Amino acid sequence: MYRTSRRALLRAGAALGSAVLLGKPALLRAASAEELTLYNGQHRQTTDAVVAAFTRKTGIDVLVRNGSSPQIANQLLEEGALSPADVFYSEGSPPVAALAKRGMLAAIAPDTLNQVPKDYVSPEGLWLGVSARARVVAFNRDLVKEADLPASLLGFADPKWKDRIGYAPTSDAFQEQIVAILRLRGRDAVLDWLKGMKQVGRVYNNNIGAMQAVERAEIPAALINNYYWFTVAREVGAAKMRSSLHYIRHQDPGALITVSAAGMLKTGRNPEAAQAFLAFLVSAEGQQVVVDSMAEYPLRAGIKSPFALEPWDKLDPPPIKPAALGDASEAIPLAREAGLA
Amino acid sequence: MDQARARRRAPLWLLLAAAIPVALTILPVIYVVLRGFEAGLAPAWETLVRPRTAELLGNTLALALAVTFASTLIGLACAWVIERCDLPGRRWWRTLVCLPLAVPAFVSSYAWASLGPSFQALGGAILILTLSHFPLIYLPAAAALRRMDTRLEDVARSLGDTAPRAFFRVVLPQLRPALGGGALLVLAHMLAEFGALSLLRVQTFTTAIFAEYELQFNSANAALLSGMLMALCLPVAFGEAKLRGVNRLSRTDRRSRRHPPLSRLGLWMWPVQIALAVLSAAALGVPLFMLAYWLSVGLSIGAGAGDVGAAMLGSLQLSIGGAVVTTLLALPLVLLAMRHHSRIARLAERLPYVVHGLPGLVVALALIFVAIRWVPVLYQSTMLVLVAYAILFLPLAQSALRATAELVPPELEQAARTLGRGPVEAFMAVTLPALAPGVGAALALIVLELMRELTATLLLAPNGVTTLATEVWSYTNDGSYAAAAPFAALLVLVSGVPVYVFTMRTLKSGRREIVEA
Repeated sequence: MYRTSRRALLRAGAALGSAVLLGKPALLRAASAEELTLYNGQHRQTTDAVVAAFTRKTGIDVLVRNGSSPQIANQLLEEGALSPADVFYSEGSPPVAALAKRGMLAAIAPDTLNQVPKDYVSPEGLWLGVSARARVVAFNRDLVKEADLPASLLGFADPKWKDRIGYAPTSDAFQEQIVAILRLRGRDAVLDWLKGMKQVGRVYNNNIGAMQAVERAEIPAALINNYYWFTVAREVGAAKMRSSLHYIRHQDPGALITVSAAGMLKTGRNPEAAQAFLAFLVSAEGQQVVVDSMAEYPLRAGIKSPFALEPWDKLDPPPIKPAALGDASEAIPLAREAGLA
Repeated sequence: MDQARARRRAPLWLLLAAAIPVALTILPVIYVVLRGFEAGLAPAWETLVRPRTAELLGNTLALALAVTFASTLIGLACAWVIERCDLPGRRWWRTLVCLPLAVPAFVSSYAWASLGPSFQALGGAILILTLSHFPLIYLPAAAALRRMDTRLEDVARSLGDTAPRAFFRVVLPQLRPALGGGALLVLAHMLAEFGALSLLRVQTFTTAIFAEYELQFNSANAALLSGMLMALCLPVAFGEAKLRGVNRLSRTDRRSRRHPPLSRLGLWMWPVQIALAVLSAAALGVPLFMLAYWLSVGLSIGAGAGDVGAAMLGSLQLSIGGAVVTTLLALPLVLLAMRHHSRIARLAERLPYVVHGLPGLVVALALIFVAIRWVPVLYQSTMLVLVAYAILFLPLAQSALRATAELVPPELEQAARTLGRGPVEAFMAVTLPALAPGVGAALALIVLELMRELTATLLLAPNGVTTLATEVWSYTNDGSYAAAAPFAALLVLVSGVPVYVFTMRTLKSGRREIVEA
């Protein structure tokens, strides 16, 4: 019995030794001066492509930390002045706006800000929009006719949509939509709508889950961002898709335009590289890489997306600009009052 | 008399060694309390009495209890038919029944979810999580059945008990510690489960803590919910100790062991074979089939192919390092609880169980909070990840170590002492070698758990460090299932190694004795 045990002990010792050896190199690794530390909440395929192109062009290495945008914003808030981050690239504008509100972002060079329309940058010049997307309704053509979809987003809270509409109440975009309805239609309207959605809607944990549910004919329709349809189409092939996108238009809150956004940290160790990265994001080259990687709209004129996007001029969005959504914190008390959070 | 007192008073070195894991474990508790207070009393009360909280509580309890109950039933039934019945192909079934451990729950959840909407609800979640967790009951139950003293059964049978009656009167009570430990493990897993539930559209405290944390840039509300989750773990931790009882399992009499007789299945053989086949197909076949499907069909395949090596290295480094640190920290806790029955020892032993039910997110947040304020040099270091792992998985190491420790009669160490060895010497010569098989099992089990750990890794990993699990997660979150598939397949493959080691270790603790008899 003892012989076996000793052997096991030796084995455990060997495992321990190799673990210590393996563990050593990464211990307390510090970012080098030539390296840009990017906290990324934007979809990976976009960021991976942008980072590769940026490094190719400038020779600056980029260390990427991936996560969801709100999670990363929270982490940055917790890290405060000690954060190793230089740039935060977010899927939506509210997480960046939250950092701006708490004084954590540095001013972006005016030249860079001027590359995109004023409507899509922070008025204080603390963050900039990188790409845009439209809120849309994805519907399964086998389960519902496009003509039967309500004319307004608010129509989905009707009992006749019971268990027929999917949405992701905890997603960034839904929070932005709540604030948009609040601005456009007022507090009572948004509360009614949220309570109705709580009653009739099916909750998904994120937009892509809701989109896939529509494609799988699990639910007739879902509220998503336009590019999720293209993401699924890329997986299964556009010709095989059984779902389509419905654009609500006529300045309805359901036609809201939101942006991905980026800003640089005041406490970053590498402000020049950070400015260079932000400038690259809105340069013609950077914008092309962004829209090639995902079905989002470029914010810079003259850039063409390879995806079959609905023409930008036909979206007819409500007159609410990303900066007006702020950090979307107004959405939480409303969602809570409606029992959604 | 003298002996008993010597056993009760713990030596200083042991107390000091045990103080480290206890202090680490208290960190997240302090964090939750501090942040909870930040929320203020009125909002805190409002959070507690919201209908939404009741909804979450209902879901959390229903899921945790149902999965634990179903896993226990299935795990025990498998252990019985495989270890104690004349089932043909027992060796094959033994392996097949353990293999679902290699498939992380969030991987199998995606597989099932893509089969149809009916699985994306509480009922589906119970089914899927039971399928991926019953081996955690099967293994300790099978090991206990193997090393069980069968003379008691013989006595019961000779007194006229039928086989089922003897099972309930004699065998089941002896299985209690093994089943209790396994059930607690499953229960704690359920309270903390995140990845799978998030894919399955089930909202529990854990997913709500995430949502709270994500939605508002303020973690006070998340802390309140975490506090409630911790409260849920309290009865679990103390119930386990009760269940375990004071059964003394160690034996000095070696000759009593013999091969247990196999019950005849007779006509039941076919239904049993079919049931095991269905179980394996559901637990193993579905996820593996879906992985193969996505590997062959998805067009996003290869998106991250260049990162596979780095993710693999990250997984190995973090999980092996974490397993070693966790096991080392668990040793003093187990020794203290085994040999010195003081109140402090009992508390030290149970506290990790309370924290085990906390989601990795909360532990990670607590560590970020502490590290940034007081030890910034540790922030975003591998060390901090390993500490988080230790806090999260101490109970696993404790259970595995205790399983062997309980088989070492304290008399052996006492004998060494009376033969003139010092306390440390006696410990090194007698207790430590006897614990070695448990160390092997603990290491393997924790490596396995850490391979699939998501949330703490996501928040704490040094910049640029990825693991197979975080890559699978981040690609599936983007809907790039095919891109995630190579990482997931590799994760399952690599997990096979610790599953094999852990299975062998656990079952061998029974077999060796049979061979020696």
